[in-house]
Amino acid sequence: MQFGIFTVGDVTPDPTTGRTPTEHERIQAMVTIARKAEEVGLDVFATGEHHNEPFVPSSPTTMLGWIAARTERLLLSTATTLITTNDPVKIAEDYAMLQHLSGGRVDLMMGRGNTGPVYPWFGKDIRAGIPLAVENYALLHRLWREKTVDWSGKFRTPLQSFTSTPRPLDDIPPFVWHGSIRSPEIAEQAAYYGDGFFANHIFWPASHTQRMVSLYRERFAHYGHGDPDQAVVGLGGQVFMRRNSQDAVNEFRPYFDNAPVYGNGPALEDFSRETPLTVGSPQQVIDRTLGFREYVGDYQRQLFLVDHAGLPLKTVLEQLDLLGEEVVPVLRKEFAALKPAHVPDAPTHASMLAAKLEKESVSA
Amino acid sequence: MKQRTLVVITAGLSKPSSTRLLADRLTAATAGAAEALGVRVESRTVELRDVAHEITDHLLTGFPPAKLKDVLDAVAAADGLIVVTPIFQASYSGLFKSFADLIERDVLNDKPVLLAATGGTARHSLALEHALRPLFAHLRAATTRTSVFAATEDWGSDEAPLRSRIDRAARELATEMDRREPAVVTDPFLLTTSFEDLLRG
Repeated sequence: MQFGIFTVGDVTPDPTTGRTPTEHERIQAMVTIARKAEEVGLDVFATGEHHNEPFVPSSPTTMLGWIAARTERLLLSTATTLITTNDPVKIAEDYAMLQHLSGGRVDLMMGRGNTGPVYPWFGKDIRAGIPLAVENYALLHRLWREKTVDWSGKFRTPLQSFTSTPRPLDDIPPFVWHGSIRSPEIAEQAAYYGDGFFANHIFWPASHTQRMVSLYRERFAHYGHGDPDQAVVGLGGQVFMRRNSQDAVNEFRPYFDNAPVYGNGPALEDFSRETPLTVGSPQQVIDRTLGFREYVGDYQRQLFLVDHAGLPLKTVLEQLDLLGEEVVPVLRKEFAALKPAHVPDAPTHASMLAAKLEKESVSA
Repeated sequence: MKQRTLVVITAGLSKPSSTRLLADRLTAATAGAAEALGVRVESRTVELRDVAHEITDHLLTGFPPAKLKDVLDAVAAADGLIVVTPIFQASYSGLFKSFADLIERDVLNDKPVLLAATGGTARHSLALEHALRPLFAHLRAATTRTSVFAATEDWGSDEAPLRSRIDRAARELATEMDRREPAVVTDPFLLTTSFEDLLRG
């Protein structure tokens, strides 16, 4: 199982000091956090993509390329890549390039983006979000798999005799997850292609995530990719830890109360009950996270949100120490012990290359 | 005996409120009218005051807390609704509208709904027609012809006029619930088009 962190890259004032980091400070903090993730033994760093304030990560492959050059093992991913407003041709090129530079340490999570004003800035319309995600991904899927592509569709200019360069590393496209909070069409899309499905999980109740994941698993089997429990599932999570759980609650509360998305809304205690948010001791995080498996089944990737809402860098790095030293080692062991042998790990470049070589040697 | 479910939404703020009182009178009258048609009505009354925090949380977070989800699910599954709001500033109350804003599209399609309101003076009675009825028309509900307004003076004078309005509206609601099949809740996770169709655009 893979463990990691995902970040939205928000620039939010620290409610305890009133100080807002500069964009430069936030960007530097994000890459420091990514390097720390590798240092403490996490597997994945995923960045959001946003084209509006107060967010900084508008150029994910620039950031991930920099991180790739300064890490050895860390898998670089997105949360999410906007499959609606980006040109699929540019996604194909950028992420293939990142594959080559990082030695295949790349996968992507597709998402639609739910910020209405962003769409027209890219010549698109949020009301066509699902059709955009479907058409654009269908093209992206072909660009990475077919050398020369003739294509025409509704949302971009046609392509004749187009080859996306560079070709994917070892001719193996990056693994793709499809992320969605509430659209069954996206679970269906992930199932159709046999791709991974990532449930955001952190903004909605568990019962909702359970339905989305079970729909995906069922349709994954329907499309002939394997049994439902062999589908590739990722989950979000949100944690804040201190050794003493009351200290965690007291320290996190002002950040929670003023956070983007849910700030000035439900009480911390209510939101913790209704969603996977866990504020407490490392042991509480371990117990809660192990419980996710009970409603989504054995899953392949767990990403935690740890660096938002104006939390200072120092605090975030302490969270990563706790994750790396106390939480993830236990979760790795416990999840591995529970997972049946026929449930696969999430595909990586190395595993897909090995499978490809084996297939070639069988057919040779 | 035929069975139908009735959910009663009341937006009164005080406890007890005249809004709740009107809701209870309408509920009892509807059960009686249904009984006369051979229909047993199982009713559930929800005070929006009890889920007021959850309504705000839902508006801010995008999902209903468990207690509110239970209410929204009950509304979706109901064969008929009675909705009662106090009239504030010449319209439904803000709490009532906030709740209405959280009802998902299509949930009230062709669902029989009895509109009712309370107010300090009968001069506000047409708020039912210029505020509540268009709202429920937008939600595609099947509102009864008769809506019921109870002003303060209705509670203190001869009870016959209010009672006759309540009974007439209750008979209309019971008739609409009786002549329809039980409500079918559509599963939001059910896909209505195949992925191949989506791919074809």
